[in-house]
Amino acid sequence: MNLTLPRFFLREFRKRKKKTALITFALFWGTLCVLILLAFGRGMSAQSRVSFSGLGENLIMISGGQSSIVHEGLAKGRLIRVYPNDIEYLKERIPEIAVIAPESYNGWPVSARGKELNRTVHGTTVEFAGLRTQIPQAGGRFINADDEAQGRKVAFIGWKVAADFFGGENPVGREIIVNRVPFTVIGVLRKKIQNSMYQGPDADQVYLPFSAFSQIDSQPYLDRIHVQPRELGLSKLVEERIRTVLGRKYRFDPADKYALGIWNTIDNAKENETIFKRIEIFLGVIGALTLLIGAVGVTNLMYAVVRERTQEIGIKMAVGARRRTIVLQFILETLFIFMKGTFWGFITAFNIVGLVRLVPLSEEGFGIGAYLLRPVFSLDIFLIFLGTVGTLVFLAGIFPAMRASRLNPIEALRYE
Amino acid sequence: MSKSETIIEFRGIRKVYQMGGHALEALSGVSLEIGRGEFVSVMGPSGSGKSTLMNIIGCLDTPTSGEYYLEGSNVAGLTFDQLASIRNRKLGFVFQNFNLLPYATAWENVEVPLLFNGKNARRRRERVKELLEAVGLLNWKDHRPSELSGGEQQRIALARALANDPPILLADEPTGNLDSKSGEDIMDLLGRLWKDGRTIVMVTHDDRIAAHSERTIRLFDGQVA
Repeated sequence: MNLTLPRFFLREFRKRKKKTALITFALFWGTLCVLILLAFGRGMSAQSRVSFSGLGENLIMISGGQSSIVHEGLAKGRLIRVYPNDIEYLKERIPEIAVIAPESYNGWPVSARGKELNRTVHGTTVEFAGLRTQIPQAGGRFINADDEAQGRKVAFIGWKVAADFFGGENPVGREIIVNRVPFTVIGVLRKKIQNSMYQGPDADQVYLPFSAFSQIDSQPYLDRIHVQPRELGLSKLVEERIRTVLGRKYRFDPADKYALGIWNTIDNAKENETIFKRIEIFLGVIGALTLLIGAVGVTNLMYAVVRERTQEIGIKMAVGARRRTIVLQFILETLFIFMKGTFWGFITAFNIVGLVRLVPLSEEGFGIGAYLLRPVFSLDIFLIFLGTVGTLVFLAGIFPAMRASRLNPIEALRYE
Repeated sequence: MSKSETIIEFRGIRKVYQMGGHALEALSGVSLEIGRGEFVSVMGPSGSGKSTLMNIIGCLDTPTSGEYYLEGSNVAGLTFDQLASIRNRKLGFVFQNFNLLPYATAWENVEVPLLFNGKNARRRRERVKELLEAVGLLNWKDHRPSELSGGEQQRIALARALANDPPILLADEPTGNLDSKSGEDIMDLLGRLWKDGRTIVMVTHDDRIAAHSERTIRLFDGQVA
C-alpha cells in the first residue's frame, strides 16, 4: 500500500491540530463512556457466574417428592423418598455421574463457650466439598473419608458460625455441642460470594460426617442427593437417567415431574447469563450513543473545515488533485481526529477499570459491590469498540469529504 | 523558431454562464492555434473573456460547445479525474495572487504536484531541490509563504508549476501583484523557460509585459479581435 499521500495528509493535519481540541475532548468522553459501560456490563455478567458457582457449578440436586401420575396400578399422591443406599445404587447404574454425595439436615441448638444458637446442621460426605465449593480456610479441613468410616464426632463450620461462637479466635480444635453431643471443629469455610442457596447462606451452616449425623438424627431418608455429571453437556442426560433409574426402583413414571424434586443448576446459569447479556447490550448501546454525539460534532467540524479550506482545495485541484484524493484527505483527517480522542479515552478507561478492580470486595455476602467493582476488558469488547468507531469515522467523514470533492475548482480558487 | 506542431487548438469554443436566469456569453466562438514552443500573450479589457479562455486552456473549466485539442486529443468530455491528471502532468499554473498553500513551507508547496503524481520520496526530494535551486530559493525552503516577499512567492509558484515538467505553462497576470523589479525577475525566468522549449500562454493587460512574448492574441467581447 502506498502511504505517501496519507503521510502527507497527516503532516498537513498536524499543522492545524489546535482547532480540534474541543472535539477531541468530546470523542475522549464518548470513548470513555462506551468502554467503561461495556467493561462494567461484562464484569456484572462474569460476577454473576462466579457468585452462582458459589453454590456449585454443574450440579444436580435431587430430593424426594410426590407422584402425580398413576403408575403400575399405584395411585398418585404417594410420597417418594431418596435413601442413603441410593448413592451407590445410582453410581453403579449411571456411569455419566462423576461425583455424588448425600445430604440430610436438621435444625438444632448449637452451643459453645456458654452461648447457644439455633443452626442448620448437615450430614454429608467428603464429596460434598467439591460439589458445593466448600473450601476450608488455612489451618483447617473439610470432612474426609476416615471421619465418615470411623463415625468421628467432628464438624466443619461456616465463617459466620465461627465468628458467632469464637469471635476472632481460631475455632479449629475447639468443641461445639450439637444437639447435646460434643463435636470437635476441624475447619472453617473460606469466605465466598454466593447468590443461590437453600437453608440460608453457607456461612451459617454446620457440617458433620454423614455417619455421625445419622447417630443423632432419626430421619431414615435423605433430604437431598447432590450429583455432578462428568461434563456440562451431560447435565440433561444424567437428569433423565436419574428419573428412569429411581422411577424403576420406587415405581413412579419417569415423566412424572413431581415424583422427585430436581434442581439442575444449568437451567439457572443459562437464565442468569441471558439477563446479564441483555444488560451488557443495553449499556453498550448507551455508550455508543454518547460516542455518536461526539461523531456528530466531528461532522459539524469537518463541514466548517471544508468551508474554511475551500481555496486550498481549489489550489490542490488546480495542481492535479483528483476527487478521490480530496475525499481521502478529509476522511483521513476525520480518522486522525477520532484517533486522538479515542486513544486517550481508551487509555483512561483502561486505567479506571484497573483502579476499580483494586478496590477490595467485602466477602460477607453478595452485595452490589461484587457486581460493580469487577469490570473486565476482553478482546470482543475491543473489537465491538473498533467496529463502532470505524463506522462513525466513515459516517462522520464521508459527507463533508464528498462536499469538498464536488467543489468547482474555479469557484474554489476564487473563494476568500 | 519554426512552429511545426500545434499544441493547443480551439475550434468554435463557446462558454455560456447562467447567472440568475440570464445567460452570459463569456466566449462566443473562439478558434485559435498555439504551436509547440510558442510564447503567446492574451490581452483584452476586463470582461473580454481572458480569464475564461485561460481556465478552459488550463482544463479548470469545460466549454459549453466547441472542440479543444490538447496535444492533438480532444479534451471536451473528459471526466474530472482525467482533467486532474492533465492539469497535473501537462499544464503548469502561475496565478496573479500566487495561490500557495499558506500553512505549508516553500519546499512542501513545490512538492504537492509530485505527490499527486505518485512520485516516490527520493525522486520528490531530488526534483524539489532542483526546482528551488533553479528559482534561487533553496535557502528559503523551510519558510512559509507569509514569510516571503511577493516576488519570492511567485518564484515558488513557478517552481511548483514546473514540478512535473509540463510542456505548457499558463500564467495569469504573473506580475500583477509584484513591484517592477520582481516582475522583471519573473519575466526573465519565463523567458528562459521559453528558450528551453516550453510553450507559454500568459494573460496580461500590460503592454510592456506582453512585449516579452512572440505573439499577442487580443480578445474583445468574447471573440478574437
